[in-house]
Amino acid sequence: MKLLWFEIYKTFSRWRTYISFGFIALIVVMTEVVMKLSASEILYRMMKSFQKDFLIYGNVLNGWFITAFIMNSLHIHIPFFITLVAGDIVSSEATAGTVRLLLIRPPSRSKIITAKYLTTLFYTAGLVIFLALICVTFGLLFFGGGDLIMNYSAQFRIVFIPEAEVPLRILLAFTAAVWSMTVVASIAFLFSTLAENSIGPIIGTMAVVIVFLVLGNFPFDFFRMLSPYLFTTYMVFWQRFLDDPIPWQEIARSAMILGLHNIGLFSIAFIVFNRKDIKS
Amino acid sequence: MRKLLLFAGILLLLLPSTGWTQAQEDASRYLDPIEKKYSGLKDYTADVNVHFDIEALKAPDMQARLYFKAPDKMKVESKRIFFLPKEGGYFNPSLFKKKDFDVKLLERLVYDERKAVRLKLTPTDTDAYHKAFLLTIDIDRSLIREIKISPSEGREVNAMIEYGLFSNFELPTHIHLQIDMPTDEPSGMREFTQFGQKPKKIAGKVEITYSNYRVNVGLSDEIFKDSDPLKPK
Repeated sequence: MKLLWFEIYKTFSRWRTYISFGFIALIVVMTEVVMKLSASEILYRMMKSFQKDFLIYGNVLNGWFITAFIMNSLHIHIPFFITLVAGDIVSSEATAGTVRLLLIRPPSRSKIITAKYLTTLFYTAGLVIFLALICVTFGLLFFGGGDLIMNYSAQFRIVFIPEAEVPLRILLAFTAAVWSMTVVASIAFLFSTLAENSIGPIIGTMAVVIVFLVLGNFPFDFFRMLSPYLFTTYMVFWQRFLDDPIPWQEIARSAMILGLHNIGLFSIAFIVFNRKDIKS
Repeated sequence: MRKLLLFAGILLLLLPSTGWTQAQEDASRYLDPIEKKYSGLKDYTADVNVHFDIEALKAPDMQARLYFKAPDKMKVESKRIFFLPKEGGYFNPSLFKKKDFDVKLLERLVYDERKAVRLKLTPTDTDAYHKAFLLTIDIDRSLIREIKISPSEGREVNAMIEYGLFSNFELPTHIHLQIDMPTDEPSGMREFTQFGQKPKKIAGKVEITYSNYRVNVGLSDEIFKDSDPLKPK
């Protein structure tokens, strides 16, 4: 436990850890200001097909909608911010030349790698929770509350979630988002264990995420067959909490698959770190 | 045999002449009693409950208070998000004025055990109205019982209306809407998953229930300020 707190302290003592938090705050505030300024245009684009046939009243563009809208960009910018720390956490010891010093201390290698992995997960969760807090706080402040309308434009349908249900659904969605992002953290962590510098794990992880996202979304049969084998397919399972009815089976399956990825990736990192040759 | 041929001949002569007579009849006269019946209706307010049974629109029942002032002011007051079908969603007695349409009698029929006519209303001013309407009118009670929007661009709307008596005015208590509307193509860049997909239709039923009518309460124009629904710039 002491080792874990020490790792957390070390991670959060570095200024680069806060780059992500700063940029997330900037992205969210900028997005919300722009959305506030061009609310009419956004509403028009969002409800275009329904406005033709329905008179729509009420606060559609509310804080909850903005939160869900920003969450949709999770799979691009949050992984990048995660890799900044997760891709650096082990490899930085090699870069700084502290790896030998670290491994000759009393705590076992297993404890060290476990503490580093838990720190990575802590940072990942912290980043997503920060995103949630800032999205919801500024969203409700700028746009107020209301029922949540989810426009699944790819499926040409709209889901309406009553305001009373929204906070719990958003909480569940962010919990699922934390779970999704731990897989990205695990990949970056594994690469960090394999590499001796931080750039490789960061670029490597982002390359894997982007390539998998692109392959999983190509509208061709071959890639559609491939998509169940790509972890990125399951990473958006947080969206299912904002559906009606909530597909619990699909959520459980996605969460389990992502969990198995985490176990597998950490196990490899664990073995690699325990066998690491620090003499050369 | 000769008698039979004579009968058939007379029948053949009569059939087109009956149709010709119907076509020539001034069908717009069926709209007069309705206009007269509701001429005293200055305004009304009512509670509205909308129940959707549409696959593309998963929503719980929505409630609101509707304000109407003749001839065409309408406002919806709702603390929550509220969707109301544009066509057939609320009652405006002055919507079908005979000066705005070419009216054609399609058929006489019995609707709900009452004498009725089916009219086709084609707008004379195509800027104000873009489509034709088929109305089924209960001629005994001078009530519009069915409004059907003549299918155009794949859109079909059919509203069946039930009435109740409120302060001497028969006003809708229940509107049963059957809708079948195509959705627009998504604007801008398509998502990966949208390729190869045909836009789905917004099709299903909408049940609109009106209650707690207050008629001719003297609604001021002030109420209808800021009454616009979501509107693009």
